[in-house]
Amino acid sequence: MITAARCPWYVAGPLLGLLIVALRATVNKPLGALGGYIDLLDGATRARRPDFSGYLLIGIVLGGALFATLTGSYAMTWSYRGVLMTAPGVPQFVVLALAGLAMGLGARTAGGCTSGHGLSGVALGSRASLVAMMTFFTTAVALANLITWLVGGLS
Amino acid sequence: MKVKITGLLGGIVFGFLVSWARVSEPAVIRDMLLLRDAHVFLIMGSAIVVAAIGLRLLRLAGTHAYVTDEPIAWSLHRPERRHVVGSMIFGAGWSVAGTCPAPVAAMIGEGRLSGLAVAAGLLAGVALQPTIVSRITFERQAAAPLHPVGL
Repeated sequence: MITAARCPWYVAGPLLGLLIVALRATVNKPLGALGGYIDLLDGATRARRPDFSGYLLIGIVLGGALFATLTGSYAMTWSYRGVLMTAPGVPQFVVLALAGLAMGLGARTAGGCTSGHGLSGVALGSRASLVAMMTFFTTAVALANLITWLVGGLS
Repeated sequence: MKVKITGLLGGIVFGFLVSWARVSEPAVIRDMLLLRDAHVFLIMGSAIVVAAIGLRLLRLAGTHAYVTDEPIAWSLHRPERRHVVGSMIFGAGWSVAGTCPAPVAAMIGEGRLSGLAVAAGLLAGVALQPTIVSRITFERQAAAPLHPVGL
């Protein structure tokens, strides 16, 4: 059943929903990746052991590795096909690091990212999360279309 | 210890699903943001519906959390300016990178090493945010708590 083919949304989506319920049922915590970066950073700077969210983030890396290994698709590569894409190299690295910087600053200010606000918070019925999700979706859709229109013809 | 193991297992399932559904592929996120492919929208929508129903059933059942034995409960925030401003900055980074904090971790696990540049930026942003916010507002009240996803 697990093949290199893309898992359909009607399998992946409900399973993600069940994962959110399972984490609430076992440890009463939301599913969110941002907290993992904060947790690991605090662990590195204050000599504190990683907690739940740090282990969750480490688990995500391992889950990606597990999938790639099981499907035989594991391959170390520098190729990257996003919205604003150049050939692998220093300019691409700088663009990606700056995009990551914006995400870190913005998500910590907003108190969550796509998973924390967009999935967990909205599912809990948080109006703050709904506002956050509508804002980042609107911004990202507008900017991605603007960049593609300006640069033109990337695919 | 059990909480950490639960986190690790939950993360493995999360990362596996993200990779399997190709959400870790920046080209898939790009096609979503350019409104060419509904795949990721449908994943998020169906995940929210299933989770919303399951969470309410869980609360109705009135059980305690299996691992921590605490009562299952949550508190919610009202929308504030930081949710809008922060999410605009986050959305800008998301659209350029074509990935966000969870998918980039799965991407690194798949061996796609450019994700390390995004992760390095994320760590720097998360580290600098409290200082930047306190410089702007001259007070620390907007600095996010340790676990900002506690919603």
